[in-house]
Amino acid sequence: MTRFFRLAASCITALMAASAAVADTEIRITHAMSSGAGKEAFDKIVAGFEAANPGVTVKQIVFDDDVYSDTGLITQLQSNEVPDIYFQWAGYPVQRDVEAGYAADLSAAMADSWQAGFIDSAFTAGSGTMVDGKIYMVPISLDITNTIWFNTAIFAENNLTAPTTWEEFIAAIKVLAAAGETPIVTGNNELWPLGNWASHVAARVVSADNFHAAFAQEKSFADAGFLRPLALMQELHEAGAFNKDMQGLGADPAMAAFFQEAAAMHPIGSWLVGSEGDLAVEGFTYSQFDTPVIDPTQAAPKSVIATMTGFVQHAKAAHPAEATSFLKYLTSVEAAVIWAESGAISPVKGVAEKANMSDQMKGVAAMLANADAMVPPPDTTYPVPVAEAYYQAAAYAASGEKSAADALKWLDETVAAMPKP
Amino acid sequence: MNLLFVAPAFVLFGLFVLLPLVSSVFYAFTNWSGFSTPEWVGLANFSRALADPVHLTSYLHVTLYILGTLLLEVSFGLVMAVVLNSNRLGFSLMRGMFFSPMVLSMTAAGVLWAFVLDYRLGLLNSVLRSVGLNDWALPWLSQGSTALIAIMFVSGWRFAGFYMIIFFAALRRIPRSIYEAATLDGAPPLHQFFTITLPLLRQQMLTCVLLAITGGFAGFDLFFTMTNGGPFNATDVPATWIIRTGFDNNELGYATAMTVILAVVVLIISVVYLRLTERGDHVRY
Repeated sequence: MTRFFRLAASCITALMAASAAVADTEIRITHAMSSGAGKEAFDKIVAGFEAANPGVTVKQIVFDDDVYSDTGLITQLQSNEVPDIYFQWAGYPVQRDVEAGYAADLSAAMADSWQAGFIDSAFTAGSGTMVDGKIYMVPISLDITNTIWFNTAIFAENNLTAPTTWEEFIAAIKVLAAAGETPIVTGNNELWPLGNWASHVAARVVSADNFHAAFAQEKSFADAGFLRPLALMQELHEAGAFNKDMQGLGADPAMAAFFQEAAAMHPIGSWLVGSEGDLAVEGFTYSQFDTPVIDPTQAAPKSVIATMTGFVQHAKAAHPAEATSFLKYLTSVEAAVIWAESGAISPVKGVAEKANMSDQMKGVAAMLANADAMVPPPDTTYPVPVAEAYYQAAAYAASGEKSAADALKWLDETVAAMPKP
Repeated sequence: MNLLFVAPAFVLFGLFVLLPLVSSVFYAFTNWSGFSTPEWVGLANFSRALADPVHLTSYLHVTLYILGTLLLEVSFGLVMAVVLNSNRLGFSLMRGMFFSPMVLSMTAAGVLWAFVLDYRLGLLNSVLRSVGLNDWALPWLSQGSTALIAIMFVSGWRFAGFYMIIFFAALRRIPRSIYEAATLDGAPPLHQFFTITLPLLRQQMLTCVLLAITGGFAGFDLFFTMTNGGPFNATDVPATWIIRTGFDNNELGYATAMTVILAVVVLIISVVYLRLTERGDHVRY
């Protein structure tokens, strides 16, 4: 009888050991790609990784974009079961994560050929992927955060072409408004869609030093020369540029309105392309142009506003080796091509040549290549409350709620009440 | 031994009420982003809150909202309770229909009405345009002059039935003989309403007003789903501004300080209101 029990115990132990050996290792990834071509591409990449790595599975924890950035990520980062990998925007968020001890230093892992597979600008002091010379973020996209998408059919009906100067732009808006069209639809109830564009406009007319000084709270916005960009927002309002419900409309419904031909133009980021399949009416044709040149005498009259997005490995990841392995797979040329074809500009070398990109994404890539400077969005570079205050001031001027001068006064008073970094 | 019996309740209360309360008060005195280590800043968050125009204006908005709810919810609920206080055929169904919005969650009600009031595709503007009233089709939730009124209206639609049920239950307990005696004395219906019905509903009215005030200060979901405080903070109430400050701007220390202020304000109003109502708590027949 004793022998029987010993045999049974041995069998159970052996079975448990065997099952443990074949049990999957689950890496947990959290991000905000909840729909569209980007989500499909990411799922495909995950499936490819799992097929290439038997015994390793990937659990995706997905949030809507706004929920992710407001509460979704912070809640997970502070939980007892942290994600192994999380999506992040380059710049201030990465720096904040490093200071809080959430982000793992990937410098050693990237020291081999992995880092060499990226374009040179992916890991520079200004790229936002590094802190104190160490790499903390693996970039997957170079996002143009604002360009002006336009309905080519509506432009053609009104004998318009993509404007190259601010004066041409205002003239085109007036033509469209006179024809009964809504020239520009924007969904600004969260302030960043227009704010991002208004920041780009500001970067075109305010010197880089003053731009930095204002957002870093080293100088008032008035002293830094921000009356001009706010006056340009006011000029857009006076030309009848925007939809009446801009301050109550969300970013996604505004994008849907553009794809449903409710407006001629829609200023938003390059991620719009990924939603075309879900939202556009049949036969919808569109293209894009960068914010037209405002002042050719400025240092960078053809700048673009852009940021990198990517993934950070958590410093306390339960499965760090597998997490790093996934990030390497995600930024392999094979996976990066899948990602780029969903409507992204990949920072991985060689992808642009191999990926079958849409005409829209080729246009965005060309715009990026021809830009004379890259301006980072303030809300991923500077303290968010200051950026949000500027965004609101821009919305005041663009909606006609306040004059440019009053909006500027409100902005400086609001920022003055904030604690300095 | 007695302490042993209260220990489970005390532990739960301590863990889920006292501890969060004390930690909230602590965080209110810190500069904390939620990501960083809290840094002690003394009274800086409180002095900033008292100078923050959006924060101060949010109390004006919530006061207007509460006045609106007193009119559209409590008063209208009372009127409907009196009008529908009958056993005649169909009245029971009408009371049920009037109460039915209460079964919807506030979030669902907010989303539903955001669709109804949408500028380009909303039901209200579609109807106005279809009857030729194009100029009346407005961006209801996108302009400061109409957004708060729209929220008050939706809140009234949602809660008037709730107050109606409270008043209706109380009305049924008023003896018919009082009305019969008044009728014999020649008192018209309106006079009976002000001299019999209202005085005998005093306790329910006090409760409903207190519910409307405290509920108004706690109001968040309808504001969040319909306007999220916009446009330009025109519908910001303390709760929406606290949430946006805490989670959009990552200023959790400052947001917690505003939460402490809100708790103190609601506490003071509730205590003062209850004291005032206790003083006059006598009914004369």
